[in-house]
Amino acid sequence: MTELEAGRAQALLPVRSGAALQRYRDVLIALIAFAVLASLPMFTGSEALLDFVIRCSAYGLFATSLNLLVGYTGLTSFGHGMFFGLGAYSFGLIMQKLGVPIPVAFVATLAITAVIAAVIGAICVRLKDIYFAFVTLAFQMLIHSTILSWASFTGGDQGLRGGIPRPVFLGIDLANHVHLYVASCALLILGLLAMRQIAQSPFGYTLRMIRDNAARASFLGIDVWRAKLTVFVLAALFASMGGMVMALFVSGAYPEFAYWTISGEGIFINMLGGVSTFLGPMVGTVLLLLLNDTVTRFTEYHGIVLGVVILFFALGLRKGLLDFVAEWYTHRRDAGEGR
Amino acid sequence: MTRTRTPGISRRSTLALMGAGAMSVAAPWVARAQAKTVKIGMPTILSGRVAQLGTSSRNAVMLEVDKVNAAGGLAGRQIEMVVRDSKGAPQEAARVARELVNTDGCELLLDGEASSGSFAVHEVARDLGVLCIHTNSEASSLTADPKQHIPNAFRCVRQGIHDSIVGGSYAAGIAKAKGLKKWATCSPDYAYGRDTTGEFTLYLKRFAPDVEVISESWPKLFQPDYTEVVTKILQAKPQALYSCLWGGDLTSYIDQANIYAMFAQMEVFAVNMADYTALTVVKNLPKGIHSGNRYIKTYPSTPENAAWGDAYKAKYNEYPTNWSWQNATAVMFLAEAAKKANSTDGKKIAEVLAGLTIKCPFGADGTVTMRGDDHTLVGYAIGWGTTIPQEPYVPEVKAGDWKTIFELEAEWKKSKGYT
Repeated sequence: MTELEAGRAQALLPVRSGAALQRYRDVLIALIAFAVLASLPMFTGSEALLDFVIRCSAYGLFATSLNLLVGYTGLTSFGHGMFFGLGAYSFGLIMQKLGVPIPVAFVATLAITAVIAAVIGAICVRLKDIYFAFVTLAFQMLIHSTILSWASFTGGDQGLRGGIPRPVFLGIDLANHVHLYVASCALLILGLLAMRQIAQSPFGYTLRMIRDNAARASFLGIDVWRAKLTVFVLAALFASMGGMVMALFVSGAYPEFAYWTISGEGIFINMLGGVSTFLGPMVGTVLLLLLNDTVTRFTEYHGIVLGVVILFFALGLRKGLLDFVAEWYTHRRDAGEGR
Repeated sequence: MTRTRTPGISRRSTLALMGAGAMSVAAPWVARAQAKTVKIGMPTILSGRVAQLGTSSRNAVMLEVDKVNAAGGLAGRQIEMVVRDSKGAPQEAARVARELVNTDGCELLLDGEASSGSFAVHEVARDLGVLCIHTNSEASSLTADPKQHIPNAFRCVRQGIHDSIVGGSYAAGIAKAKGLKKWATCSPDYAYGRDTTGEFTLYLKRFAPDVEVISESWPKLFQPDYTEVVTKILQAKPQALYSCLWGGDLTSYIDQANIYAMFAQMEVFAVNMADYTALTVVKNLPKGIHSGNRYIKTYPSTPENAAWGDAYKAKYNEYPTNWSWQNATAVMFLAEAAKKANSTDGKKIAEVLAGLTIKCPFGADGTVTMRGDDHTLVGYAIGWGTTIPQEPYVPEVKAGDWKTIFELEAEWKKSKGYT
C-alpha cells in the first residue's frame, strides 16, 4: 500500500462508519415509527384514522418511489401510475383466479412488475426530459387501454368485481381491519426503509450524479443507462406495492388506478411535500389526503381549494413543505453558528 | 366614592343561571333529537363531467326525504342525509362510503355511484354489512351475477338488459313495417356501449331475423368530434342507425350529424335521447328520433308522474334526469320498508325490501317491485317513442311488455352462466 493509498483508506474509514451509523439510526427510526403506528389501534377506535393510514401507506409508497425517479435521478415520469395499477390488478387477478396464499401473490406481482418495468424502462430511459415524460405517459395509457378493452380478463371499465379473497396466512387475516392496518404499516415502513437504503447507498449517490451531470457520470465510467434502468425497475416495484395495498383496501382493482390522474397525483404530492428530502413525498401524501378528506366533507368545489393550495406552494413557498422547513432550519443553524 | 353595585345576584351570574337553566331544560331534547335522527350516507359524483347527474340525484333524494320527514320520518326517526362527492373515482367512493358509515355514523347507504364506483361501494357494503341501495349503476352484472349477491345490497335502477329487450322488440316492429334491413350502430367504446349495443342487435335480429348490421362505429367516450363517424355511416348508406351515446356525447353527435342532414336519410334509434339533459341541450332536435324513455314527465302519462316532474322543476328550476327518478324511488322503498318493518335497522329493512312492491309514480302500472331473488328493480315504466322538437318532446311512448322482458332476461341470465 502506497502512502497515498493508506491515507485515502484512513480518510474513508470515518465515512464508512458514519454510513453504518446512519443506517442503524434509520432502522431505529423505522422501528419506532412502526411501533407507534402499530399500537395506534390500542388507543383509538377510530376506523377512519386507520383507513387514513392505510391509504397513506398506499399513496406514500407510490409517491416516495416516484421521488426516487424525480428527485434523485432527475427522471420526471408522467406514467408512474401504471405500476400502481399494475400492482393492484396483478395482485387482484392472481388472488381471484389462482387462489394462492397472499405472500405468493405478493411476490408474483413484484416479479411481474419487474419484468414489465424492465421492458418499458429499457425503451424509456434512453430518452431525456420531456421525451421521457411523454413516452412514460404513452405507456401508461397503453396499459390503461389494455385494462379497458380486455374486458373478459380485467372486467373492463367496471374493474375486478366480486372482491379479492384474503385467505389467512401465518395467523394474519387481512379481512380483519386491524390486521390489514398493521400489515399496511409494515409494508410502508419496510418500503420506506428499503428506499432510504437505496437513496443513501453508493448507487443512490450515482443517481444524484446522473441527475446533476449525466455526461460526467458517463465519463467516470458509470453505465448511465443501466443505472437509470435499475432505479426505474426498483421504483416500479415500490409503486406496485402501493397498488397492492390499495387493492386490499378497496377489495378490488379499477382502471382508474392505472389512469394518468394517479401519476398526476403522485407529481402533485411530490410538489406539496418537496423532492429534496427523503420524507418529502410522505409529508406530501399526508398533506394531500388530509386536504382531500377535509375539503370534500364540506364542499364539492374541492378543485378550487386544491388549486389555491398548489398555487401557494408553487408561487409562495416555491418549493415543497419539507424542503422549505429543511432550508429554514439550515438557515437558522448557520446564522446561529455565525454569531 | 360609593359602590353602585347592589349586593345580591349580579347580571353575570343571572345570565349564567339562565343559561344553565336553558341547558338543563333543552339537553334531553337535544339528546333525544340526536338519537331520533337516522343518518343516511350517499356517495355520488358531484364534480367532473357527470356532476349534473349526481346533483340531480341529490336533488331528488332531498325532495323525497323532505316528504318522508314531514310525514313523521323513517319509522318515527327524522332522516338526515349526508351527501358527499366521490369525483367518480372508485377508490374515493370506497373511502367516502366507509367514512360515512364509520365516522359520520350513517346507518344506511344510498349509493349514487356509476359503473366502477358502484362496484367499489358494493365491496364496502359487503365488508361492513350496512344496508346499501345502489341508485345509479345500470350495469346488469351488479345484481345478475350471483358472485355479486349479498343480502344487504339492492339496486333501484333501470337495467341495460331490460332496455335492450324492449328496444330490440320495438325496433324490430318498425324494421318489419318499414322494411329496414340494413342497420348501422354507433356507440361509445366502453363496456356499457359494447354490451348494450350487442344486446340490442341480438334482440333486434331475434324479432326481425332478416336485419343485417353493415357498419359499426365505436367513438371514444367523451369524444369531441364525430365528423369521421358521421361520414363513415353516411357512406355505408344504412336504412337505420342504433346508438347508445348519452349526455353530452349524444348532443354533440346530433348537432354534428345535423350538418350532414343525417336524420333525413335514415331512421335513428337512440336509446338515451328521451332525457331532459339531452332533449333540452340539442340545438335543433330532429323530429322522429326513436328513443327509450329515460325520464320524461309525460310517461307514464299519469297525474302522479306529471306532478312529481313539476314539483321537482318548481324546486330546482330544471327538469329531473333518469338518475332523479331512480333515487326518488330508492327513498320511497326505504320509507315503505321501514314502515313495514317498523324499524330503521338495516337487517330488518333488507328482509322487507326483498320482494317488496310499492306504489310509485314511475311504475309501469303505478307500482314497482324490488325483485326478491336478485334484489333488483322491476316493473318500472319502460318504453320507446319518437321525438318532436318542442315540449313534450316525446308525445307518445309505446310501453314495453314486462312479461316478455322477464322471459328473455331469464334466458339471457342462463346464457351468461348466472343461473
